[in-house]
Amino acid sequence: MATPAAKRIHGPVSEPDFMNVTKGIRSWLITLDHKRIGMMYLFGILISLLVGGAFALIVRTELFLPGKQLVAGDTYNQFFTLHGAVMVFLVIIPGIPAALGNIIMPIQLGAPDVAFPRLNLASFYLWVSGAILLVLTIPFGSLDTGWTLYTPYSLESKTPVLIAVCGVFLLGFSSIFTGLNFIVTIHKFRPQGMGWFQLPLNVWAIYATGIMQVLATPVLGITVLLLAVERFAHIGIFDPTLGGDPVLFQHFFWFYSHPAVYIMIIPGMGVISELISTFSRKPIFGYRFIAYSSISLALLSFLVWGHHMFVSGQSRLANMVFSALTFTVGIPSAIKVFNWVATLYKGDIRLKTPMLYALSFLLLFTIGGLTGLFLGILSVDVHLHDTYFVVAHFHYVMMGSTLVAFLGALHYWWPKFTGRMYPESLGKICAIGVFFGFNLTFLPQFVMGSRGMPRRYWDYDPHYQIYHQLSTVGAFVLGISIFISVMYLFASFKNGPKAPRNPWGGSSLEWQAPTPPTLYNFEKPPVLHELYNYDDIVEVEPDVWERITPTEVEPAVADEIAKKTGTATEHTAGATEADKAAAMIHAKAEEVKAESKLDESSRAKPLDPAKLPDEIEIAKKVAGAGELVPAEQKLAEAEAEAKAKAAEPAKEESDKEKK
Amino acid sequence: MSTAHDAHHDDHGHGHHGSRFIQHHYDDAQHQFDAGKLGIWIFLAQEVLFFSALFVAYILYRVHHGELYSYAHKYLDVKYGAINTAILIFSSLTAAWAVRCAQRNERAGLILCLATTIACAFGFLGIKYIEYSHKYHEQLLFGRYFDPCVSPGGNEFITKSNDCPGSKGSVHWDFGAGKATEGCYESSTIDQDPQTEGVQADCQVFETKVRIARGADGKETVTETSRKPIAERCHEWSLEEAEAEAEGGKQEAPEKFPCWKPSYQPAVCPDLTDATARAKGTAARPQVGILVEYGDHEERGEDIVIKAECKPAPKVTKELDILGTPEHPMQLGKPTIVKSHELTTHERHELEAMGPPPDHTNMFFTIYFAMTGLHGIHVFAGILVFMWLLIRALKGHFTPDYFGPIDYAALYWHIVDLIWIFLFPLLYLIH
Amino acid sequence: MASAAEHHDDHDHGLAHVASIKTLVATGGTLLFLTLVTVLATKIDFGANINLAIAMVIAVTKATLVILFFMHLRYDRLFHSVVFVSALLGAALFVGFTLMDTGQYQQTNIWNPSAPPVAPIGPRPTTGG
Repeated sequence: MATPAAKRIHGPVSEPDFMNVTKGIRSWLITLDHKRIGMMYLFGILISLLVGGAFALIVRTELFLPGKQLVAGDTYNQFFTLHGAVMVFLVIIPGIPAALGNIIMPIQLGAPDVAFPRLNLASFYLWVSGAILLVLTIPFGSLDTGWTLYTPYSLESKTPVLIAVCGVFLLGFSSIFTGLNFIVTIHKFRPQGMGWFQLPLNVWAIYATGIMQVLATPVLGITVLLLAVERFAHIGIFDPTLGGDPVLFQHFFWFYSHPAVYIMIIPGMGVISELISTFSRKPIFGYRFIAYSSISLALLSFLVWGHHMFVSGQSRLANMVFSALTFTVGIPSAIKVFNWVATLYKGDIRLKTPMLYALSFLLLFTIGGLTGLFLGILSVDVHLHDTYFVVAHFHYVMMGSTLVAFLGALHYWWPKFTGRMYPESLGKICAIGVFFGFNLTFLPQFVMGSRGMPRRYWDYDPHYQIYHQLSTVGAFVLGISIFISVMYLFASFKNGPKAPRNPWGGSSLEWQAPTPPTLYNFEKPPVLHELYNYDDIVEVEPDVWERITPTEVEPAVADEIAKKTGTATEHTAGATEADKAAAMIHAKAEEVKAESKLDESSRAKPLDPAKLPDEIEIAKKVAGAGELVPAEQKLAEAEAEAKAKAAEPAKEESDKEKK
Repeated sequence: MSTAHDAHHDDHGHGHHGSRFIQHHYDDAQHQFDAGKLGIWIFLAQEVLFFSALFVAYILYRVHHGELYSYAHKYLDVKYGAINTAILIFSSLTAAWAVRCAQRNERAGLILCLATTIACAFGFLGIKYIEYSHKYHEQLLFGRYFDPCVSPGGNEFITKSNDCPGSKGSVHWDFGAGKATEGCYESSTIDQDPQTEGVQADCQVFETKVRIARGADGKETVTETSRKPIAERCHEWSLEEAEAEAEGGKQEAPEKFPCWKPSYQPAVCPDLTDATARAKGTAARPQVGILVEYGDHEERGEDIVIKAECKPAPKVTKELDILGTPEHPMQLGKPTIVKSHELTTHERHELEAMGPPPDHTNMFFTIYFAMTGLHGIHVFAGILVFMWLLIRALKGHFTPDYFGPIDYAALYWHIVDLIWIFLFPLLYLIH
Repeated sequence: MASAAEHHDDHDHGLAHVASIKTLVATGGTLLFLTLVTVLATKIDFGANINLAIAMVIAVTKATLVILFFMHLRYDRLFHSVVFVSALLGAALFVGFTLMDTGQYQQTNIWNPSAPPVAPIGPRPTTGG
C-alpha cells in the first residue's frame, strides 16, 4: 500500500530497529540495549516456564492415582522442589519486571535506556548463572528440601543444597540490581512534564516492586549465605544441637519471601491497570488510589511474614500480631480490584487476547486474595496449613494472577517490541484454555485441602482421588494452552504479520515509538498527552489506531479525521464554523446520553449530520442559557448557504437554459 | 550504527566538551552523577539490610543468652579492635578527602588519598588475620569447632581436639559420633561450685581400687579396697616429652601416667563418674580436680577409680583479690581465696571467666566470625574497588566533571566503616 | 529530577558540594576521640546495661558524624536520607518482630545443677552399651 497512511502506520523509519541495528550473536551477548537484554531475559524465562511446567506435569501425573505412578518418595520430593524453585526464582520473580519491564518501561518513560545499562547486563548474567546452578543440581542429586529450604532438613539433606543456594544467592542479586536500576531510571529519566502523577500505572508498579526488591532481597542473600556456611562449616546458627535455632531460619527466610510474593504480583497489577484501561477505552478509575496502593502494598508486605510460620513454633503473641497485620495487607489489593471493575463499567470493551487475560486475572486474583485471608485467620490456618488449600491459594495468586498477567502483558506488548502480530484467534483460544485449565486444576485443590489432603505428599487416601484426577486433567489443559502460546509466539516472531505502531490504541508513550523501536527507542521525541485519555485515539483501520492530534499525524489528515468524527475544534484547520458548531453540540449531546443510557458505552460516537437536530434538543438540556444560540445560528447560516449553493447550479442551469 | 547515533545527538544534548565517560543516554555530567548517587545510596540501603540478619542474630543471643557474651568477649583483644577502628576511621577520612581532591582536580592528592585508603584497608585485614589466627590457634572457633584451650581467665582446659599448647592429652575426639574414641579423662569428685563455695584447696588425689557388689535389690555397693596417692602413679610430663613420645621416641617414665594441673574440664567421659557420689545422690560434676590420664577403660581396669579428697578453702583471714595482688599473684594449681564481700558484676564476670564456658558459647563465636568475616569480605571487596580506582586515577580518568566512581566508592567505604563502628563496641566492649 | 531542564548552572559549585578540609579533619578527629572515650568507658563499671547504653550512644554519635559529613548527607538531597533511613527502619522492623517472637520462648529443658544426669560406673553393660 502506497498511501501516506500506510507508510505512517507501519513505522518509519530512517534507521533500523533495535534488533537489526547490529547483527550477530556477540552483539546480543554484550548488548547494553535494555530491549535486547529484556528479550534475552524473556527467552530464558519462557524456557524456564516450560521446564518448571514439565516438572509440574510430572508431579500431577504421579498424583493422578494413589500409589506410585511415576515417581515416589524422595524422587517425588525432588520434582516438586525443582518445580517450586524454578518457577519462583527463575520465572515468576524476574518475570514481568526483568523481561517486560526491561523492554517496555523505559519506553513508557520516553527514555533512551535504563539508568545503568551495564548493571542491567550484569543482572542478566547473574540470572543466567543462577539458573545454571539451579539446573546443575539435577545431575548431582537434585534438591529435595522444598523450595523453602527449611532447616534442619536442608542442613542434613544429601542433595547438593550448596549448589542450589549459591544459585539462589546470585539470582537474589540479579533481582536487587534490577530493582535498583529501575528505581533510579524512574527518578531520573522522566521527561519534562511527566510528574509522578503522570506516570503510567505500570511504572508505579515497577517502582513499588523495586522498593521491595532492594530492601527484602538482601535478607534472602544473607539467609542462604548462612545456610551454605552452616552446611559447609557447621557454624551452628540454625542447628539446635550446636546452640542455634531452626525457627530463626524461617524468620530470615520469610522476611524476604513474603515481600517476594508481592514482588511477583505488583508488576502484574501494574500491567492489568494498563490492559483494562486500554481495552475499555476509559481512563483508569482512581488513578491516585491505585498508585498509592501499590506503594502501600510494598511497605505493608514487610509486616506480615510471620503468617507463614503460624504452626512452626512461633509464639502465640507473634502469631496474633502477624495475623492482625495480614488483614491490613489485603486492603490495597482490594482497592485495586474495585478500581479495575469501576474502569470496566461503561467502558467500550474490546475482547482481545490481552483483555481476556486481564479479565481472567480479575476473577482469579480475587479468589486467590480472598483465600489468602482465610489462611491469615489463625484458627483456620492451623487446620489448613500444609494442605492443598495453601497450594491452591498460592497458585491462584502466583499463577492465576501473576502468570496470567505476564501472558497478557506479553501479548499486549509483543507487537511493539517484535514488530509482529501473534495469531489473534489462537491467542483467544489459548487464553480461554488457560482460564478453564487453571480453574479445573486448582479449584478442586481448595476442596481437598480443606478436607485434609496434605501438600507435598506423593500418595494419598483414595477418597481424594477424584479431586486429584480433576486437577491433573486441568493441569494438562493448562499446560498445553501455555505450551501452544509460547510456540505461536515464537513462530510469530519470524512469520507473523507485521504489526502497526499502535494495534490496541494504547495511550502511553511506548505506542508512539516505532514498531519495533529503534536503538534509542524513539525516532523523534515523544509527545506527552493526558494519561489514559483515549478521546483522540481513533481506529483508522481494523486493529490500527492513530492519535489524531496534529503532533502524531500530518495536520491535514488529522483535520480530515476530526471533521469526519465530529470532533473539530478551533484548532482544526479547514473546519467551517458549522463543523465546529456541530462538533460542540454533538459533544454535549453525547454527554447527556452517556449519563442516562446505561447500556451504551460512554465513548463518543462519530457525528451523524442527520441526527443533528435531535442532538440540539438533547444538548439544550445541559447547555447554559444562550450557550447554544451562536452554534444554532451558525448551523442555520450554513444551511442557508448550502441551500443557496444548491440553488445556484440549478439557477445557472436554468440561466444556461434560458440562454 | 553511526548514522543512527548521530541522528540522536541533538536529542540527547550532551556536551561534546565533557568527559568521555558521560554515557550516551544521559543529558550531561550532572544528570549522570545524580543518577549514580541515587543508585549507590540504594545499594547502601541494600547493604544495611544484608547485614541486618546478622545483627538480628546478635541481638537475639545477647538478649536471651547474655552470659555467653559476658563470658566469651574476654577472649577478644580490645587493643586490636580499637586499632582497627582507628584505622578504618582514618581510611574513611582519606576516602572522603579523595572525593574532595577529585572534585578539585587535585590529581596528586587524589592518588595519595586512594593509596592511603588502600593501605589502611590492608592494615585492617592484617590485624584481622592476626586475630583470626590467634583464635584458630586457641581453638576458639565457631559452632561445632569451638573447643577452647584456656578460659578467658587463663585456666587451661582439656580440649577434645588436642591441639592446644600445653595440652597433654591423647584423647582423640570423634566429632561425628560426639565422643572420645581413644583415651579418657577421669575427674576427681569434688562437688562444690567454686563460684559459690569457694575453690577447693589442698587436694589429695588417690588411685583407689574398688569392688562393686550388686545387691539383691539391684542396688550397687562400692567398697574401696586399696588406695595409692596419685603422685606415685603419675609423672608430670613436659610438652617436649609429650611431643617426643608422640613422634615415636622413648617414653620417659613408661610405668607412670601423666599428671595434670588442676583445672576445669568438661565431662568428656560421661560414663565414668564416681559411684560413691552417685550413690549419695550428689552428682559428680567435674570441678577443680587433678586429672590423670589413664588411657582406655580396659587398659586401666574397671575397678580403678580416681578419688580426690580436698579440704575446703581456708577461712578468709585477710582480704585478697581473687585475681591476686602484686604480693600474692594468682597461680594455677594453688588455692585462691575468695573475697568475703558480695561480688560486683565485674568481679563476678572475672570469676566466671575462670570457669568453664556456659552452654552454647560456641554461638558467640559463630556470630563473631559471621559478622567480622562478612565485614572483612566487604573490606576486601573495597580494596579491589579502590585499586581499580587508583589505576584509573593514575590514567587521569577523573575530572571535576566526572568523579562519580570515587564518590560512590567512598560512600561504600563509609558504610563499611559504619558497620565496624557498631561491631566494635558490640563485640569487643561488652561488659 | 527530570533531565535536561535541571542542569545546574552554578558551575563554581561543580557537580556536588565539596567538603572542606576543616570539616573532614574535624570529623575524623572527633571520631577518633569518641573511639578512645568508648574504650575507656568500658573500664568503669556502671552495670551491664548502662555500659551497653553508653557504648551504643557513642556508636550512634559516631555513625551520625560519618553519615552527615563523610557521606555528605547533610549537603545532599533529602531523598537519599529517606532511602537510608528506610533501610534502617526495615532492619529495625526485622529485629523488633523477631525479638518479640523469640522473647516468648519458654525454657523446656531445665538443667538442675544439683542433680544432673549421671551414668553408671563399673563394668560396661554387656547388653549393647
